[in-house]
Amino acid sequence: MENKKILFGLYDDEQILLDAVKEAKDGQLDIYDVYTPFPVHGLDPLLELSESRLHIVGFFFGVVGALTAFLGMTWIFTDEWPMIIGGKPYWSVPAFIPITFELTVLFAAFGMVFVFYAVNGLSPRAHTEVLHPRLTDDRFAIAFDTSVSSNEEISRLEKFFERSGAEVHIKNLK
Amino acid sequence: MKEAIQFEFTSKQKNLLFGFMGLGILCMIIIFFTDDALAPRFWSNFLLNSVFFTGISFIALFSIASMVTAYSGWQAVFKRVWEAYAQFLIVGLILMVIIIIGMFGGFHHLYHWADADSVAADEILQGKSSFLNKGLYTAVTIITLGVWYFFARKMRDLSIEEDQLAIGDFSAYRQIKKYSAAFLPIAAVTSAMVVWLWVMSLNAHWYSTLFAWYATSSWFVAMLSMTILTLIYLKSVGYFSKVSVEHFHDLGKFLFGFSIFWTYLWFSQYMLIWYGNVGEETIYFHDQRTNYPVLFYGNLVVNFVVPFFILLRNDTKRKVGTLVLTSAVVFIGHWMDFFLMIKPGVLHTYHEIMGHGGGGHAVLDNMAGQSAKLVADAGGHGAEAVSTFVNGFTFPGLLDVGVFLGFLAFFLYFVLVQLAKTRLEPVGDPYIGESIHHHVI
Repeated sequence: MENKKILFGLYDDEQILLDAVKEAKDGQLDIYDVYTPFPVHGLDPLLELSESRLHIVGFFFGVVGALTAFLGMTWIFTDEWPMIIGGKPYWSVPAFIPITFELTVLFAAFGMVFVFYAVNGLSPRAHTEVLHPRLTDDRFAIAFDTSVSSNEEISRLEKFFERSGAEVHIKNLK
Repeated sequence: MKEAIQFEFTSKQKNLLFGFMGLGILCMIIIFFTDDALAPRFWSNFLLNSVFFTGISFIALFSIASMVTAYSGWQAVFKRVWEAYAQFLIVGLILMVIIIIGMFGGFHHLYHWADADSVAADEILQGKSSFLNKGLYTAVTIITLGVWYFFARKMRDLSIEEDQLAIGDFSAYRQIKKYSAAFLPIAAVTSAMVVWLWVMSLNAHWYSTLFAWYATSSWFVAMLSMTILTLIYLKSVGYFSKVSVEHFHDLGKFLFGFSIFWTYLWFSQYMLIWYGNVGEETIYFHDQRTNYPVLFYGNLVVNFVVPFFILLRNDTKRKVGTLVLTSAVVFIGHWMDFFLMIKPGVLHTYHEIMGHGGGGHAVLDNMAGQSAKLVADAGGHGAEAVSTFVNGFTFPGLLDVGVFLGFLAFFLYFVLVQLAKTRLEPVGDPYIGESIHHHVI
């Protein structure tokens, strides 16, 4: 991937950030991304982000977990190694339910975590570049990709940041 | 359109509700005159609906108290509805007093332990008689409902008083907080006691330590679904415009969560008894599975599978159609759940007591003769009758549904009258602003 020249402005309040995002949207500015240290209410609809589909993944992993547990126990206790436990029948559905529940939760949780990692390219060795260290603490940023922008466009963006009271930075992202 | 400050109870709505109340009374009368001696079907229906609707009003009060104690604010915009539900506790007290009068007067034999002949011949009932006796039943019922109604009344009065206070004066709110915090431990103990006495003691030989929670969670889901339906109706006729999709989303989450909670308790109770395999305990579920299979398995489908799969997604909690469907199904489902909690015990006790006259105990399964008579009485609803099918007991007949509708109309009538007494929006609630701007996404 080629380098990206990111122009971003830091805000110190989420309400000011929301107003600035609204203004940028109205002014037809092409926002690259918005960074916040915590989820900000009302930001997703402003940026017109679609709902995450991660939970659909979770549902199907849950179904797989439930089937694995239930069919697995059914096979083991009726066919592979039948055992009489507490005088109950081999195929004792009520006794299978807690384990089915547990594997449903386990598969859904782990499945979502792994899919989330895969989609976002995260792994133990992955390195993520952070635009500004304080974005993980108490600052909010609106970022624009200015790799191919003209000087006019950049000065327009800088004016926008000045108006909305942001601290302007430029950083190259690999 | 200007938002109406107060709810206006129109004569059209009143007439509709009066019509259903009339239907309920008619069904009660038909049941009473076609019933067996001792009128088990009449009295068990009376008990079923009294307990169900009293429980709903108790849970409304409990919800207010727990949310106020937890500093929750999102419910403020519709809290008048819950306050109105809670006022029904005074009616619940009257209904339960009628049951008590019937018990002392010998008009009904709902409770096995209340029958002196049975207790004299039964060691188990003698052993339990220090708790299961008429005096304690009366005292606990009247004191509990009296205390609940006191709190319901007090918190509503304070909440109305709050609206008159100057901005920034939170004296009434602080009082509500104190009453709420005091109510919670009282509710914990008393709700369990009344569930044991009203419902669980119908099967006097049997007990389950989970039963109180199980029945209370059933009330909880019923109350939530009723809240959703009431609010959607009142919104559709032009009230509560500030109750938004965000509030319904949270109510939907509650409905979803408490349906799972109910299932968890249902299953925990079932599995422990199944696994322990003690005859005195398993007889309860053996009876339900053999004689009440439709209700027993249908209960799980209606009250777990339906809400779980419909409300699992985010957007189904934000749409009126899916919310109304799920709430209606689950509301009826939990009425059926109480039906299944109450009817088997009553029928069993009835056969036991009728057996005394013949000089011995009637066995559990010896009900073929009764069932034939009851099925004939109900005018052919029992087409699918098997040898153990007893209309109005093993499955709700049309008459039982009529009684239910009558009680429902009565409950709604009472609630709407209460709602019309004061302004809908609690402008003095310190959380009203937060509640109006409530956002969950």
